[in-house]
Amino acid sequence: MSAVMVEDLTKQYGDLAAVDDVSFEVPDGQVLAVLGPNGAGKTTILEMLEGFVAPTAGTVRVLGTDPHRGDRSWRARIGLVLQSTSLDAELTVTDTLRLFAGLYPAPLGVGEVLDLVDLTDDAQTRVGVLSGGQRRRVDLAIGIVGRPEVLFLDEPTTGLDPEARRRTWAGVENLTSAGTTVVLTTHYIDEADHLADRVIVLAGGQIVADTTPGDLRRRGGPSTIGYRLPDHITPAELPAGIARHLDAKGRSLIIASNDLAASLRELISWADRQHLDLAGLEVGPPSLEDAYLTTIGEPLTPEVHTHA
Amino acid sequence: MPDIAATAAMSPVAHTATNTAADATGTKAGRLPSAGRLLAAQIRYQVRLLISSGRAIAVGVGLPVILLVASKGKDTRPDVAGYAVFGLTITAWSTYGVRLVAAREEGVLKRWRATPLPRWCYFLGRILATALVAVTAGAVTVTAALAFYGSHFGDGPDTQLTITAAFAIVAVLFLGAFAWAATATALTRVIPTVEAAFPTLIFIYFPVIIVSGVLFTNISEPHWLSTFATYLPAQPLIDAVTHAVRHTAGAPFLPIRDVIVLACWAIGGLLAAIVLFRWEPHRPTQRRAARTES
Repeated sequence: MSAVMVEDLTKQYGDLAAVDDVSFEVPDGQVLAVLGPNGAGKTTILEMLEGFVAPTAGTVRVLGTDPHRGDRSWRARIGLVLQSTSLDAELTVTDTLRLFAGLYPAPLGVGEVLDLVDLTDDAQTRVGVLSGGQRRRVDLAIGIVGRPEVLFLDEPTTGLDPEARRRTWAGVENLTSAGTTVVLTTHYIDEADHLADRVIVLAGGQIVADTTPGDLRRRGGPSTIGYRLPDHITPAELPAGIARHLDAKGRSLIIASNDLAASLRELISWADRQHLDLAGLEVGPPSLEDAYLTTIGEPLTPEVHTHA
Repeated sequence: MPDIAATAAMSPVAHTATNTAADATGTKAGRLPSAGRLLAAQIRYQVRLLISSGRAIAVGVGLPVILLVASKGKDTRPDVAGYAVFGLTITAWSTYGVRLVAAREEGVLKRWRATPLPRWCYFLGRILATALVAVTAGAVTVTAALAFYGSHFGDGPDTQLTITAAFAIVAVLFLGAFAWAATATALTRVIPTVEAAFPTLIFIYFPVIIVSGVLFTNISEPHWLSTFATYLPAQPLIDAVTHAVRHTAGAPFLPIRDVIVLACWAIGGLLAAIVLFRWEPHRPTQRRAARTES
């Protein structure tokens, strides 16, 4: 049986269908990222999975139980991190974790949890004086201290700086590598790419893609070559075959190609004639962001040309 | 960071295998902690929060003691029961209510709701913890009055405080604090924001304590208003404390009618709180619609 099962799920607020006839399953141990723009229905779905919100129609099962009717035993088997930090500021990190650990039948040791979320150095610090990123990791620590079988993360790194995001990711990875099923919502494409085995893209309350990050990336089109022209090269000097790849500002080449080798040969041949060393040349697969924007129907910005 | 192997040992699969072992917190693995144990932990936690913030003690103890000191040397002797009830009620009503709304709006209540803690355990623990701190505030006020004025304070006969009477005072203060906090819990349902909490609570609080004679005992008020005040939770509390403080041999330590009124408020407030208590932050209609889209 799947850890999470959602069938024909609908949530209506008046005339607004926040979630519209959505179905999916999450097998044990899978990390699922739910992506989508504001208003797509991500948080509403997560709140129905967590038992906070009752569906208007359809079926939800988490660990075989209807979350809205989940009892103490069921809640002891799930963990969650809410969209906003929700902690009492007066206690230390250790005291906070000890308090929450006492609610569960078989919690992780407080020291282990601190280690998992990289907060050992802040164990005796009051929650109220922690940075936003550290508080978010305390949230994550509370979410995992009960040794959850299913973990829900609602935009776990929104508002964090890059380093804090990386640290939070590491905490999640430490847990997921142990086989915990994770459902996370996020606005960040790279977060889904980094953490998830599978991606569901929502738009207007409906699923518009249910795939792996790799497959989603391939929807973004062919691989691309990016090259910023040196200042002394004017667009008029470019041969017609290359000039058609100029971006809107006329300073960068963005060559989307199904035959990278041929395109590179043409570019290198021209650069050789111009005595250019092609410094700054970028060659990469289509970005997940491009694929995501294509999937939800947003136009791609012409400047998008940076690839991993 | 722990390595993967170490983490794997903590997996759900692995912890099923260790269900017979005792864990680090001493809880028997596989069985949920008892409600009694969780309630005790919740009371300790909430008392700690109240004390560590400092505001509850500053208001609940500080204000009545300042009033006592300010009364020294005046013609009329201070009404210690009124001051004790003032410290108690402002803690169990205003301080408690504002903190509860703040916790709800910050998502703290929602976070607790998602845990295996029985829901009644959370708000009962919160009410009981507040009652304990409020009783302490009231008891400190009585003790300060005794230290400051000896047995000669208030109108009427001198204080005859016995050990039994002291227990009676603590008991009735606890009942009163519980009644005020439980009623405040129910009221928080209709308070939408933290900013609205203090004005709303105080708008109700001051008329009640004024007509009940908590701070001013020589106010002339219509008979119907005096009668009405005997059904509110402040005047019966003052009467009961005064009665216990001036207990005379052969009479009951607490007036039964006052205790019944307070018990009705406590039970009624608790039942209303159970029905009305809201865990989720309040959202205006248009914002709710916006949020559900995200």
